Amino acid sequence: MLRVKDGDDGAFAQIVERFQNRLIGIFTNMFADSALAEDLAQEVFLRIYRAKQGYEPTAKLSTWIFQIANNLASNSRRSKGRKKEVQFQVGGSGSQPVQVGENNVAEKSAMMPTRQLDKTEMQERVQSAMTVLNERQRMAVLLHRFEGMSYADIGETMELSTQAVKSLLSRARENLREALENYIT
Amino acid sequence: MEKLQRLSSEDRDNLPAYLDGELNEDATRRIESILAQSSVARNDLERLSKTYDLLDELPHPDAPKDFVEKTLATVRLEEVKVSISDQLWFQNTQKVLVLIGWTVALIIASVAGFAITNHIIERPEDVLVEELPLMKNLDRYEEVQSVEFLNQLTASEELLKQMGKATSHEQK
Repeated sequence: MLRVKDGDDGAFAQIVERFQNRLIGIFTNMFADSALAEDLAQEVFLRIYRAKQGYEPTAKLSTWIFQIANNLASNSRRSKGRKKEVQFQVGGSGSQPVQVGENNVAEKSAMMPTRQLDKTEMQERVQSAMTVLNERQRMAVLLHRFEGMSYADIGETMELSTQAVKSLLSRARENLREALENYIT
Repeated sequence: MEKLQRLSSEDRDNLPAYLDGELNEDATRRIESILAQSSVARNDLERLSKTYDLLDELPHPDAPKDFVEKTLATVRLEEVKVSISDQLWFQNTQKVLVLIGWTVALIIASVAGFAITNHIIERPEDVLVEELPLMKNLDRYEEVQSVEFLNQLTASEELLKQMGKATSHEQK
């Protein structure tokens, strides 16, 4: 990042390459909209570039980048007034959000938990379970599971105390356990 | 006996942190002691762990192949927008325009201030200038003593002639 600050565009391209999939992964699982996820990821990189002159290496680069991503996600939620219940897309291949409704395969399959679920079905189950979490819980879970962040790093990213992160993740995992109870073998 | 060992609400809250290795030594020892004694607790922990492992099923989408290229192009576009304002000629022109603006504003403010002060605040000199004709003829006015007499004098030519004759006679 210090090289980016000195005007090295090649270094900036390396940062984009290193973090693009990670950011798109987080945003896709936050908002269940791949087009929005790409837009938000690009906006994160633009903000990083704009902020390059003021960058001080006081925190880990990844923490700083995910802090920007978290702020952007919060603003995006607020401005779009997203609804929790209208979220995840089937199979994660398209960019259209999908309504989780009564006729959803997830609910049908919940009635026959002993059936062996294929990978796509299981993905839908887990995506539906993620909608049970509030947005802060979801972000904390994704940073922990996808990014392997410690509680302290999640706290720094989300501007929370370590204790608050511990409670947030504890509640989130209890909610997930309840939502996925039938699919644990 | 072992199955009677129940997890307290606090212990239950600590289970995820125990799984993540985020508990302090004392709390870790306490959880381990409970786990050693309680199959219920061990089962809870296992289910919690398996649930969390299911999150590996979530999609990990890759960015489009041209994502880096597009992002760099957007950044360059933004840089061009910014760079005009960074150029020296632009900054100098901006400074000169600001200076001219302030000078014009100062002149307008001075003129307006002078005009306002001149009309509103009355200086002692202004009163003197205004009253100058009166002061010049003050001795005459005092001799006349009566404004009514002056009015009569203006109205009657006859009286005016008599006064003129009397004055010339006195002068002789």
